[in-house]
Amino acid sequence: MRNIMLKEMKLSASLLSYLFILSGLMFFLPGYPVLCGAFFSALGLYKSFEFAREANDTLFSALLPIAKKDVVKGKYAFVCVIEFCTLFLMVVCVIVRMTILKEAPVYHDNALMNANCFALGAAFFLFGLFNLIFVGGFFKTAYKLGRPFLVYMIAAFLSIGVFEALHHIPGLEVLNAFGTENIKIQLLLLMAGIAAWILMTVFSCRKACICFEKIDL
Amino acid sequence: MSIVEVKGLMKRYPSFELSGISFDVRESRITGFIGRNGAGKTTTIKAMLNLIHPDSGNVSFFGKPILMDEAEIKKRIGYSTGTVNWYPRKKIKDIVQVVKSFYDTWDDEAYRRYIGLFNLDESKMPIELSEGMKVKFNLLLALSHKCEVLILDEPTSGLDPFSRNELLDIFTELKSDGVAVFFSTHIISDIEKCADDVVYISKGRIVAASSKEAFTENYSEAGESLEETMLRMERGVAHA
Repeated sequence: MRNIMLKEMKLSASLLSYLFILSGLMFFLPGYPVLCGAFFSALGLYKSFEFAREANDTLFSALLPIAKKDVVKGKYAFVCVIEFCTLFLMVVCVIVRMTILKEAPVYHDNALMNANCFALGAAFFLFGLFNLIFVGGFFKTAYKLGRPFLVYMIAAFLSIGVFEALHHIPGLEVLNAFGTENIKIQLLLLMAGIAAWILMTVFSCRKACICFEKIDL
Repeated sequence: MSIVEVKGLMKRYPSFELSGISFDVRESRITGFIGRNGAGKTTTIKAMLNLIHPDSGNVSFFGKPILMDEAEIKKRIGYSTGTVNWYPRKKIKDIVQVVKSFYDTWDDEAYRRYIGLFNLDESKMPIELSEGMKVKFNLLLALSHKCEVLILDEPTSGLDPFSRNELLDIFTELKSDGVAVFFSTHIISDIEKCADDVVYISKGRIVAASSKEAFTENYSEAGESLEETMLRMERGVAHA
């Protein structure tokens, strides 16, 4: 697996995938839909898929002395690494906003959602959607990118809209907690987001391995 | 001894079909796979490498079906396909560094030798190479890991006559080291120069698969060269 990751990072990846990791820092932006950071990181990953397709990466990988399912697993591993790097930056932002900046008026006087543990869980969910819809969709053909990304975009922006709106619904104000307010619920929602990410990623990867095995390259 | 056995491969496409493709590639032999453009050479090679899935038939390497241990079998195979552009904007040395990490049999000495022989500059990117040099780059990757069987799809296309000659000499050298070479071509003189065995495909069917001598004996008319024989046979197939 080490060698397939080396291939993904050195040959298949677009520089934009690495640069767009920085969009995790959008969790610092006040008055901005912070979950767009997850979408931009996914956009960076999309550029790697596009770049790899133009470089005949799929055929090249299938000819390497590895099982075909390892080609798929390598791609998922690369995607997960980029997602974790973005999430790491998001975690840093959340910790700073929950502690040092918890009283900052710029964040309090904000109609949009706060970057807290719930937001982190939502970011995990958005990355899970990317893995399920886009990466899984790509491996149905191993060359069509446009349609799965369009479907992901629609699903991602609908989800962002829902996540942003939730805390305005009476009774759900706890979702917009600052500092360590309602920390148990916050952590529970984070765990739910992580669980959703794991389920979507594992399901998508297994299905993609089966699909890729059947494709004529 | 057969290193590769292809038995009854069938693959149906809407406008083309491979039917009942069967042949062997033997140890320390050079097998030329000849046929005109669109005859089914690349499709057959792709099926041999598990890149496409035949409707029926099977392919075995070293006595094992490729599906049984694909990774291990591929380690023992060298493969190159014509002028396909892998990672056009990455430096050759970076591509090589990655490929090398997949083979515990990678032979740096052979790599240095072939890079010198092919006159390739490691700091160049595939996009900067001519079509002939791209073929050589693909061959370089296939030749540098002590493979036991080389499968080459149109390795001589786009090469100048000098490089073609050099390549055919390399095949002969590899053969003397025990490597089985299987190469597809539509250039009959390549077969005449170095092949021991001939597999002739036309319209998705194997017309003949035998040693070159047996092929000449069975199909050539008196005074006919291999090229003339094949052209005559191809015209016959076309009219059939």
